[in-house]
Amino acid sequence: MMPARFEDKPIAADPWAPYVPDEKSPWDLRRVVHLHRRAGFAATWAEIQRDLKDGPRTSIDRLLAGRAYRDVVPTDFARAADILGGAAGGSNEPMRLRAWWVYRMMFGPDPLGERLVLMWHNHFATSNLKVDDLVAMRRQNEVFRKHARAPFGELLDAVLRDPAMLIWLDAPANRKGHPNENLGRELMELFTLGIGNYTETDVKEAARALTGWSIEDDAFAEVDSAHDPGEKTILGKKGRWKATDLIRILVEHPATARRLAYRIGQLLLGEKAMRSTDIDALAAGLRRRNLDIGWAVETVLRSRLFFADENIGNRVLAPVEYVLGAARALELFEPPANTFILAEWVTRLGQELFYPPNVGGWPGGRAWLTSRSLIARANFAVTIVSGQRGGLAEPLDALGLARRHGQGGDRESVIRFFSRVLLGREPSPAWCQRLMAALGADARDESEIARRIVSRILAMPEFQLG
Amino acid sequence: MLSRRAFLQSSTLLALAPTVPGFLARTARAAQPQRDGRVLVVIQLDGGNDGINTVVPFADEGYAKYRRALRLPKDRLIKINDRVGLHPAMGVAGKLLEGGQLAIVQGVGYPNPSRSHFRSMAIWHSASTDPEEQNSLGWLGRGLDTTSSKPGETSALFLGSGAVPLAVRGRRAVASAIERDEDFLLAPGADARRVISKEEPADELSAFVRRSMLDAYTTADRLAESAHSGGSSGRNFGSSLGTQLHMIIRLLKSGIGARVFYTLHGGYDTHAGQLPNHARLLTDLSFSLQAFLGELKEASLAERVVVLCFSEFGRRVEENASAGTDHGTAGPVFLAGQAVKAGLVGQPPSLTDLANGDLKMGIDFRRVYATVLEDWLGLSAQQALGATYERLPLF
Repeated sequence: MMPARFEDKPIAADPWAPYVPDEKSPWDLRRVVHLHRRAGFAATWAEIQRDLKDGPRTSIDRLLAGRAYRDVVPTDFARAADILGGAAGGSNEPMRLRAWWVYRMMFGPDPLGERLVLMWHNHFATSNLKVDDLVAMRRQNEVFRKHARAPFGELLDAVLRDPAMLIWLDAPANRKGHPNENLGRELMELFTLGIGNYTETDVKEAARALTGWSIEDDAFAEVDSAHDPGEKTILGKKGRWKATDLIRILVEHPATARRLAYRIGQLLLGEKAMRSTDIDALAAGLRRRNLDIGWAVETVLRSRLFFADENIGNRVLAPVEYVLGAARALELFEPPANTFILAEWVTRLGQELFYPPNVGGWPGGRAWLTSRSLIARANFAVTIVSGQRGGLAEPLDALGLARRHGQGGDRESVIRFFSRVLLGREPSPAWCQRLMAALGADARDESEIARRIVSRILAMPEFQLG
Repeated sequence: MLSRRAFLQSSTLLALAPTVPGFLARTARAAQPQRDGRVLVVIQLDGGNDGINTVVPFADEGYAKYRRALRLPKDRLIKINDRVGLHPAMGVAGKLLEGGQLAIVQGVGYPNPSRSHFRSMAIWHSASTDPEEQNSLGWLGRGLDTTSSKPGETSALFLGSGAVPLAVRGRRAVASAIERDEDFLLAPGADARRVISKEEPADELSAFVRRSMLDAYTTADRLAESAHSGGSSGRNFGSSLGTQLHMIIRLLKSGIGARVFYTLHGGYDTHAGQLPNHARLLTDLSFSLQAFLGELKEASLAERVVVLCFSEFGRRVEENASAGTDHGTAGPVFLAGQAVKAGLVGQPPSLTDLANGDLKMGIDFRRVYATVLEDWLGLSAQQALGATYERLPLF
């Protein structure tokens, strides 16, 4: 009998069967770091140790409940975030709004929530280039946050009433007698069904159903006189459809569940981790549960597939993951890293939050690694440890950080510590040697050496993956 | 000893492609001039360039009649033929014309012209005269959408501060902005090449990351090198247009894959005291163009690059009371480069047969676009513009 290969597993076996630690897939440093890289940004050493002790079930519970990062969350986090957000909205400086979001990612208790907001920001890619209103962009961001884990229909309804989205899709121009096809098209192609699941007529009819949903005085308004009340046939269904009917029709269409399953896979899994049948299975589960996003996220995170060897380290880190991951793992909390500067780095690395490059969002994956972005990563790696320009009040005390967590101060121990916390791995002797050879001969003292070790790790090809 | 060209053309280099830094592989492809090696540089003349005083129809009796304070003496013009001559400040552009590197399309505009800067510029950018059809996409963006470039690879680069112009925004194509060359330069101490493994890793993703990193370091090297390169270091690029065009050369030399570069030249909205300002702008434009084409030649890039200059409208035929001109309609469009078919295209618009005191349009701007898209960039004009337009003999 031929040995079973990954592809030959019988389809009937649940592809999303839960992960149970065993000899082949132990609950170890590697998996804990992996969990936090995917479901958050990165864990600190203390968080890693905590989760190692508590096991996968409890660790994932914490992430799902938005309680994963507790010790470093300021007591007045919610209020501080609100003040920052308000100031950003009124400032006319997009970087301030990015800094607000970075503050939430860095200091907030719910990293998985923020990852989901990033996913929705990409899915419903709206650019302030056209909206030109930071208050509206913030409001949209909060809509994503509020409904991030909800049944998708709720989120879709809220997004279609959101002023930023309405401006972005030219909703005010979509009126009875003059349906704006772009609106209908983006809704079907990008937000719900995906290409190939609708006709051009469906696009036009969908636009007709959406007429009347517009903006007045910067707020959502239903303008009856603009609404086309006639009969429409959308995806084979006939009726005097209004926007809420359209939402229902789209949400019930099987292709929507599949597209969402794909998106959640894109969020949590790496390259080649998910087969078509796996997506189908997740989509089927979504369909049975009213497209409950929270359920799908939990199912994926708890699965054997998520923790399989093939799914670890097989994904290019997006700029926000790279920068925030480094900042958290290096514990830049006290004194706090300058979130404005961190936001600038995320932008320089090619992810301009609130300004997706086009309506399809960011292509992601390997597309993050343009020459310009990689040069920026190399610059970040050397600057983040050095002090002011990296957003820190003073140079990073890498040596102190290693010592604080009970590691020795000699080079090997420092290398080992940062390899564990940043990469989730025990370094091989060859790897250590390569790193040592790249440190240069002119460092002033052991503190400087420790900083360089960190800097070199951040600049390695290995650290671009997570 | 193989010439560099012959070496690059040899197939062995391309066969090594996975381990050769990307920019070298790209240069090898460029050595055989190919459709996807071709680059368009757009210089947008902001404000409404006075075409009448740029390509001067001195033989038209309307010129003497409507331009008094602003009339340019015939004997100072750079004569092209017995009907038109260039503004005296454009001597250098005249040389480009003689040297076979400049084409001038006359009387370019569109039906029912708008005299609003924003509206008219939006029309030029979106290639659509229907305001409701002016969604968030531009003619070059839609054109670049039709190619299958690597996902995430920048197809169009805007040089300048501020937002990426509508013209280059597509649904899939990525356009990005660059303000300073620092974006491509390594900070002191940032060169961490030594930490990269000597051998290619076994798994394909890691190998890709490693290769991409090596590529990036090479790009940074080339860009840093060109900052000190002997040929251009002595030149004074006083204007920011000159600086931006020079930056384009450096970016091209670094192996970047963008196909469109977009830049702005501002100040053409000459409502008052036009003569000195216009002269200064045209001097700047001409010299910058000449320097750019010269640098392209030195860098062996001349076959690959064409420059398009346009403005959102021309100006009124009759000058105003402030020795300036107000917003008008049609105007000339310039194309420059080795690949361009030099000379005049179309007829100079009549200054006597007017429409409400304005020049009548001779050539729809979308014909220029269609020609550039199809005949230069090899992109589908029909898909980019949403309709078919008769092309012009520009290449």
